[in-house]
Amino acid sequence: MKRDQWERLKTLFMGALEQSPETRQMWINQHAGGDEMLAREVTALLRAHDTAGRFLETPVTVDPADVAGAEDNAGAVRIGSYEIEYEIGRGGMGIVYCARDLRLGRRVALKALPPVHDSDAGLRERLRREARAAATIAHHAVATVYALEEIDGRLFIASEFVEGHTLRNEIDRGPLDTQRALSIAADIARALCAAHDAGIIHRDLKPENVLITSGSAVKVVDFGIAQVDGINTRLTRPGEAVGTPAYMAPEQLVGGNADERTDIYALGVMLTEMLTGQHPLAAGVRPALSSATGIAWRCMQVDAKERYQSAHEVLEALEAQLRNPQRIDTPAIASSRWWWEFHQAAVSVVYAGMLWPTWIARDVIGGRQGNAVFVAVLAAAIVGVTLRLHLWFTSRFYPAELGWARGRATGWMLASDALFAAALVIAGALVGDARPAVSALEIAVGIAAASAFALIEPATTRAAFRGSDRL
Amino acid sequence: MGSTTPDPVSLMPLVYDELRRIAAGYMRRERPGQTLQATALVNEAFVRLAAEKRRPFANRTHFVAIAALSMRQILVQRARARRAAKRGGEPKRVTLDDALMLSATPNVDILALDEALTRLATFDPELAHIVELRYFGGLTIEETAEAVGSSPATVKRQWAMARAWLKRAIECRSDDGADAQP
Repeated sequence: MKRDQWERLKTLFMGALEQSPETRQMWINQHAGGDEMLAREVTALLRAHDTAGRFLETPVTVDPADVAGAEDNAGAVRIGSYEIEYEIGRGGMGIVYCARDLRLGRRVALKALPPVHDSDAGLRERLRREARAAATIAHHAVATVYALEEIDGRLFIASEFVEGHTLRNEIDRGPLDTQRALSIAADIARALCAAHDAGIIHRDLKPENVLITSGSAVKVVDFGIAQVDGINTRLTRPGEAVGTPAYMAPEQLVGGNADERTDIYALGVMLTEMLTGQHPLAAGVRPALSSATGIAWRCMQVDAKERYQSAHEVLEALEAQLRNPQRIDTPAIASSRWWWEFHQAAVSVVYAGMLWPTWIARDVIGGRQGNAVFVAVLAAAIVGVTLRLHLWFTSRFYPAELGWARGRATGWMLASDALFAAALVIAGALVGDARPAVSALEIAVGIAAASAFALIEPATTRAAFRGSDRL
Repeated sequence: MGSTTPDPVSLMPLVYDELRRIAAGYMRRERPGQTLQATALVNEAFVRLAAEKRRPFANRTHFVAIAALSMRQILVQRARARRAAKRGGEPKRVTLDDALMLSATPNVDILALDEALTRLATFDPELAHIVELRYFGGLTIEETAEAVGSSPATVKRQWAMARAWLKRAIECRSDDGADAQP
């Protein structure tokens, strides 16, 4: 139909609609301008209009299955005693379907290898391992594996079907409330505790693999590349990186060995994402200083030795944080902690203050001995002051990090304190009668320092960190 | 809307995904085979996407226009797949759900409608668009008028015309068809 013909038809139809049914035909004949074809067409359209009833008036109704599984190639497909309802998702390692187990009448998640890889012996073995690995873990935060099925040569894992959405969906909507983020992270940590205790490393933790049910329960799924402890179970060739780069720990990225701490790293990335709404490596992400980000930060240390060493440790830190939410924004420092901080600051001042008398002592003693004594005090002061100020700062701004920071600093601090005290006493003795005041000061401070380090500091430390060495 | 309105095609995957997600949610809550109005699905998708930090679409009608297009594509794709499955002669594939669907829904034949609508769009895209918004997006006459930027009275007339033409086109398809060919 030509455009102008259509326009005439339309005008005539719309005009005729305005007329009463009795005068319509006459009106059409008058306005069709002798074009009989056009008049017939309009009449036919009007008849269609009059008999159309509710045609198209009610918006289309849909079966949610049609929309949810819009990309499936056909309607429901039977596989053994399972009826596939729709595809939940797919990745390089497999396709996950929502299916119904017709024997037991329940919904299951059915995971299979992509058809192209279905005959790959290595991948089939990996899927079997995944089933066994996940089946080993009995925990409410890990999706339960029901069965490993081989139907018509295809391998399937049937597992608990989790109703809900992924953590990715939630993060995509912006930062989570801090308490909620911590509680989700704690649930993931619990799942990891169970998995790690069973000797299983997830190795591909990411928000897509964390499901949140409508009842807010957390389920970790997809132990797809999980690795069971032991050498013979490795399926990836050495040096081959497996996982999702954005959540892979540095050691995993270079194809090194993954262990519990690899999963802890991924948990840290997810916690940061929950708190900020963005991946920690995204440009411009500077999480506000808080204890919660401190936990995430420690999980994400490049050196695995500097992370929490087990999921249980992470869980403890998260639970402590959840119990004391007020710590998050305004770290309420207990008075015992205040004393400990004061102690660190005071010792730093003494360290620095003793450099001047020791300089005088150096001149009096003279020669190599004088220099050696001064250098010893200087070195002790530099190390001692740096570490103490670092601890003081950490206590103020990253309280969650403190336990760990103290652990690292303790050895060095002990050494510098001992050196400091010893060097002062020696300096005092060497100066002797030449400058009695300097000598007395050096010896007095040296003895005071020794007793302070031996007695007072352990006391303030005990008071400040009573009960929980790890915050 | 203005020039900053993103191209609908680029937003399709986003809307499509959201519709799928919501539909999957419904499936988990409801008994299998339960149907719902597309309007409900589209509205829920709108509410969810509108809550996002960076709203990717200009306003509700802009969103519905995209959602309606998605919905049409989804349903057509599905209907085609179903037809192919039946022709493929695999008796296994026709399930109880399929049987229920056929009897329970008052929907018109989606494939026939899609075909007719595609034909209509070749000579009157505006009318085809209105049908899409009304039927697949569930917009009222007033909302449709807002979406296309004209008056409700005009849209009402256009809707009547489109409905009559489509009805004829679909009915004639089964017998001769030549009659409805414009």
